[in-house]
Amino acid sequence: MVALVISLALFFDFTNGFHDTANAMATPIATGAIKPKTAVALAAVLNLVGAFLSTEVAKTVSGGIIKEGSDGVQITPDIIFAGLMGAILWNMITWLKGLPSSSSHALFGGLIGAAIAGIGIHSINFESLLQKVILPAVFAPIIAGGVAYLCTRLAYALTSRHDPETGDKLTQKRGGFRTGQVFTSSLVALAHGTNDAQKTMGIITLVLIAAGTQPAGSDPQWWVITACALAIAIGTYAGGWRIIRTMGSGLTEVKPAQGFSAETSTAAAILASSHLGFALSTTQVASGSVIGSGMGRRGTTVRWGTAGRIAIGWLFTLPAAGIVGALTAMLVQTGVVGVVIAAVAGTAAVAYMFLRSRKSHVGHHNAVQIEEVGQAVQFRKKKSAAKAIKNGGVQR
Amino acid sequence: MKWLELFSVAGATLVSAVTVVVLYALGVRLTAIAGDIRNSPPSWTRPLAYGCFAVCGCAILYGLYLIIPYFHK
Repeated sequence: MVALVISLALFFDFTNGFHDTANAMATPIATGAIKPKTAVALAAVLNLVGAFLSTEVAKTVSGGIIKEGSDGVQITPDIIFAGLMGAILWNMITWLKGLPSSSSHALFGGLIGAAIAGIGIHSINFESLLQKVILPAVFAPIIAGGVAYLCTRLAYALTSRHDPETGDKLTQKRGGFRTGQVFTSSLVALAHGTNDAQKTMGIITLVLIAAGTQPAGSDPQWWVITACALAIAIGTYAGGWRIIRTMGSGLTEVKPAQGFSAETSTAAAILASSHLGFALSTTQVASGSVIGSGMGRRGTTVRWGTAGRIAIGWLFTLPAAGIVGALTAMLVQTGVVGVVIAAVAGTAAVAYMFLRSRKSHVGHHNAVQIEEVGQAVQFRKKKSAAKAIKNGGVQR
Repeated sequence: MKWLELFSVAGATLVSAVTVVVLYALGVRLTAIAGDIRNSPPSWTRPLAYGCFAVCGCAILYGLYLIIPYFHK
């Protein structure tokens, strides 16, 4: 069971990586600041480095949402297994639909469902749930969106150039924002690595402690750190191109100054939230920023249908992951046969979704259509088409 | 409920993001002015543009300082 939970936790780390590449890299890819493959490689390296930078482990798996600890309930590996199953399946479904959704909220949902089914409803701390999941989900997009809106307006106001005599528009020369995007999005990727790989390390370490192979309160072992860092980096490199497409061009069309404003708001919100004691989800912050910046630039529209689908996805994150978690917890309780059934069913579901995804392949070649004159168009025609043919990839 | 923390996060986000974006936008604008060929630009525009970018660079370094736990343990 311990080995099963560890491998599942690492797979969750992988899905977390490819689900969240978009947060950092969707807008620079969309504006052509970084080429798609370079962007995911950069994000992967930064996630790898980030994972090694911070190895401090949380004392609880659920961060207080489940009443864990000496005076509460005991979270068993069974419940963690069920919770991870819920989180992974939800991550896969949202990826297939191209929806950015918070991986940590999916994990909370899975754990809550598993705890309710396995222990009972009294194990849930509802106040903590409200404070750590529901309120942040409401405020993260509002804060990030508002700030990104303001920044975008300012950026365009400051760089709009008119001829003082005739009032004609001069060349705007806003390409410089692309360079800035590289830095701000790298900051987001690094912050992601330090935060998210750590969650999986925490889960594995707590499972090892529960299994008695590691003394309580000790740091994660080196192989746990390495495995988690690699899992999140490989996941990031695999790139959730469907989600990148949604964030980069599905919500709104992104231009350099706008992308820079959005990325800066995302980075600022994430850093502020992790140091001032009110945790916000990176995904929700990033989505909010993109929408806000889209509202701030004149001559573009926000596709509210897509935004609505994302919001509905967030609403369903907790219950959907929770239901899968609860079902898995009930299966696991029946004994070894139940564990095997749950593991096989989970693997089959993931494999099915992967095969479904092959039907309409979204890769680096067609994730975001860069609407820039000159090199960008050529780049699409020559390089990516040649690559797609070489790899035998199916183009839409 | 941690309303105070929520507001301080919102405030810090607003102040830091607006500062960086305004400075960077000024830098971009000044570079554009300095690059004008038609009417010769004042000589101070380019150094000032670099100054703006340098301050933004410092903001990035401060971000790194915040991200890496080694620096503020």
